[in-house]
Amino acid sequence: MKKTVRRTAYLTCFVIGMAACSATAAAVAPKTLRVTFQAAESGFDPVKVADYYSGTVIEAMFEPLLTYDYLARPAKLVPNVAAGLPAVSDGGRTYTVALRRGIYFSDDAVFKGKPRELTAADYAYSIKRFLDPKNRSPYAFLFEGKIEGLDDLALRAKTTNRFDYDAAIPGLETPDRYTLRIRLKEADHNFAHLLAFHLTGAVAREVIEAYGENVSSHPVGTGPFVLKDYTRSSKIVLEANPRYRGKIWDFVPTDDPLDREIAARMRGKRLPQIERVEVSIMEETQSRWLAFIGGQTDMEYQLAEVATVVLTPDGKLKEDFARRGIRLQRSVDPEITYTYFNMQEKLGDQPNPLAGFTNEKIALRRAIAMAYNVDDQIRIIRKGQAVRAHYPIPAGVAGHDPNYRNGIAYAPQVANALLDRFGYRKGPDGYRTLPDGKPLVIRYSSTPSERDRQFDELMKRSLDSIGIRLEIHKDRFPELLKLENQCRIMMRGSAWIADYPDGDNFMQLLYGPNSGQSNNACYRSPEFDRRYEQARRLADGPERNKLYKEMTRLMEVHTVWIMGDSRYRNMLLQPHVVGFKKHPVFSAEWLYLDLDVNRPK
Amino acid sequence: MTTYILRRLWQFIPTLLGVVLLVFFLFNWVGGDPAYMLAGKIANPEHIENIRRQIGVDQPYYIQLWIFVKQIATGDFGASWATNEKISAIFATRLGPSVTVLLPMLVISTLIAMAAAMLVAYRRGTLTDRAVMVGCTVGQSISILVYIIVLQYVLGYQLGWFPVQGWGRDLTENLLRYAALPIIVGVVVSLAPDIRLYRSFFLDEINQDYVRTARAKGLDETRVLGVHVLRNAAIPIVTNVLIQLPALLAGAFLIERFFSIPGIGREVILAVERSDFPVIKAVTVYVAIATMVANLAADLLYKALDPRVQLK
Repeated sequence: MKKTVRRTAYLTCFVIGMAACSATAAAVAPKTLRVTFQAAESGFDPVKVADYYSGTVIEAMFEPLLTYDYLARPAKLVPNVAAGLPAVSDGGRTYTVALRRGIYFSDDAVFKGKPRELTAADYAYSIKRFLDPKNRSPYAFLFEGKIEGLDDLALRAKTTNRFDYDAAIPGLETPDRYTLRIRLKEADHNFAHLLAFHLTGAVAREVIEAYGENVSSHPVGTGPFVLKDYTRSSKIVLEANPRYRGKIWDFVPTDDPLDREIAARMRGKRLPQIERVEVSIMEETQSRWLAFIGGQTDMEYQLAEVATVVLTPDGKLKEDFARRGIRLQRSVDPEITYTYFNMQEKLGDQPNPLAGFTNEKIALRRAIAMAYNVDDQIRIIRKGQAVRAHYPIPAGVAGHDPNYRNGIAYAPQVANALLDRFGYRKGPDGYRTLPDGKPLVIRYSSTPSERDRQFDELMKRSLDSIGIRLEIHKDRFPELLKLENQCRIMMRGSAWIADYPDGDNFMQLLYGPNSGQSNNACYRSPEFDRRYEQARRLADGPERNKLYKEMTRLMEVHTVWIMGDSRYRNMLLQPHVVGFKKHPVFSAEWLYLDLDVNRPK
Repeated sequence: MTTYILRRLWQFIPTLLGVVLLVFFLFNWVGGDPAYMLAGKIANPEHIENIRRQIGVDQPYYIQLWIFVKQIATGDFGASWATNEKISAIFATRLGPSVTVLLPMLVISTLIAMAAAMLVAYRRGTLTDRAVMVGCTVGQSISILVYIIVLQYVLGYQLGWFPVQGWGRDLTENLLRYAALPIIVGVVVSLAPDIRLYRSFFLDEINQDYVRTARAKGLDETRVLGVHVLRNAAIPIVTNVLIQLPALLAGAFLIERFFSIPGIGREVILAVERSDFPVIKAVTVYVAIATMVANLAADLLYKALDPRVQLK
């Protein structure tokens, strides 16, 4: 009996103790933002990643020289670790950036307990890393052929097998500890966007050298968050960086009521307010959805498959969820999808029926474009979660023209008439032949995925409606990329999301010399290329916009692409999340958020 | 016995060689050129060539194959192409979560299936037997995906008995909190086929002469079933369980994906999506070796449980 009493007493003490502990823990619990990724990250070395999710975490830990104003639309460049915007001289060829003093890297054993100040040399080193062949950086293209002396250094590294980071090059100079001077090979008025690109954040050379191949899991930056705990492909925990200098929320709201609401709640707060970010990798939509509605996560947007469960047909949040205080922020991603026609005369050793600038070839491409119903693509495949793209530069990106309307409308009857007029006659089987009587077969390439099968069906239906025989070519994704790089794909759907919010990032997709790289159509038009080269030398403004419009019209006249859509991002927020507004460039807005501790999670 | 074991071990080599050739040619034939996956959005031919050189796919096939063989001999499969993480580190960190879920799942489902199978075998032809068999047939016909989705929704979200997903660093927390629902799902999925299979094992034994003799000697039914029948029916059951053991190495990818368990199955899927050949190679080889070892162990155990069995 005595034993039982004692055991009960111990148990009671234990329970009370646990309750006390959890009460204390609740009192001091850090403000924790819980988010999900639908795909695994690959690592946190800024020059080695290409995936969106790794980039998101990198954005929270590393700092580029410049950044964007949180509220201004279209995105507006502002200084970040730089003391001001770069001084552009030499007709757009030289960028001089002065760094703010007293910015420190987060603590790491490599620094042996001493604060490590950020200097201009760190940025010179970080930019050089993109072209070090050993790093095989997926974003090397950002700096390739741009900075004086950098390509030579990379070339030398290929032969010597060692990239000489100590070699002085005229394109990257540090006249003093806090000044970085970048000299470009040719004028580029939009280069500043690259200095705000999240993967150009500074790394410390001694950290990279100390961790070697493991640097991907030892990120050390100057940003607002540091990596606290990391289980690869499963969980990433960040905590506020104690070395971070902090920022005061002082953005100027626009007329948007959301801006004013955010400003009212956030103005004057020291950033970051969030003390901890927990990222869980959840590949399955059901898991993400249940975690969100069960209150286990605070923000969720990767729910395209269950959009109809959450949204009304007109894109509003359903009443059930709104009643629970969940909020929806709907924005269009800065991306375009399109279907390209290969413009090369030959695909390997086979003739390409789509190639050429003669009227009959343009008529064929135009007829296909007119037979393809983009509205069906949005309704059936995107389940209404996209808007039609009219212009190659999407909304939110400098150079976008909101008033431009694509001149190629869905009109299968007109398409049929056009083909008849140019001699594409129908045979007894109902399918058309080329004007010279040879068989006409269009080869459309796609991967064996469920989503691509839907596109195949839509394309087949479209081409059947104008009597053109379609052959579906299925191949693995890497093989399609390989064929694309060799300009050997006749027709395929593609997409491009902004690396930085400037029209050049999109217009280069049609620039002749980029054939076999980003110009999938392998479109080479001297008129287009001349305008593109002219536009590249101009800053964002009416003169450049005029050229972009001419280029778009030209592409449309030649019918190189069928313009597709831009997808919605439906961000769902729990009631306690404060300060969120989707930024067209940022993928991690965590720095600018707060959690209302008075509202229950 | 020693000669038998040595002979079986010797047979591992041609089997493994077959696996190596199959994996190597399948990957090179079906997998596509990984350099294009790793190159990023815009890549010029020099960049592609640089990647091919660094990951070694620019080498002639016979050299790549020879490197593969050397990797098996040394047990060092290098690092993941996609993340640069050492393959040994991948196994060291991902095996634990997979085993935490799969081992209890295997043990619980085997015990329940054995008990249920024994019961329905004993009551063969009765309504209970028929109902269980119909239930098993229906249960077996339903995809694992349906079980996961329904149980995750009902038990995890609606009833809130378990977290819908997650994983921590503490083994007890993982086992009791996060692995519970995945284990229940796994057990429910495997019960139907296991009960059907084990029932047939029990039925084979339950009508044997030695059972009739035991009953004639006046032994009670509990002893007849629990000792005599169970001991003999356990032989094929143990074999079946042993054969399932290598699957622990491959993980349960669907369960791991839905419940966000950082196990090896999820890693394999990720490797396939990323054309990450070093990971695929290592997993395939280890699973092949584990399968061969498990088969050998099953044969030896068979002999230990039934001395009448001759190993030749």
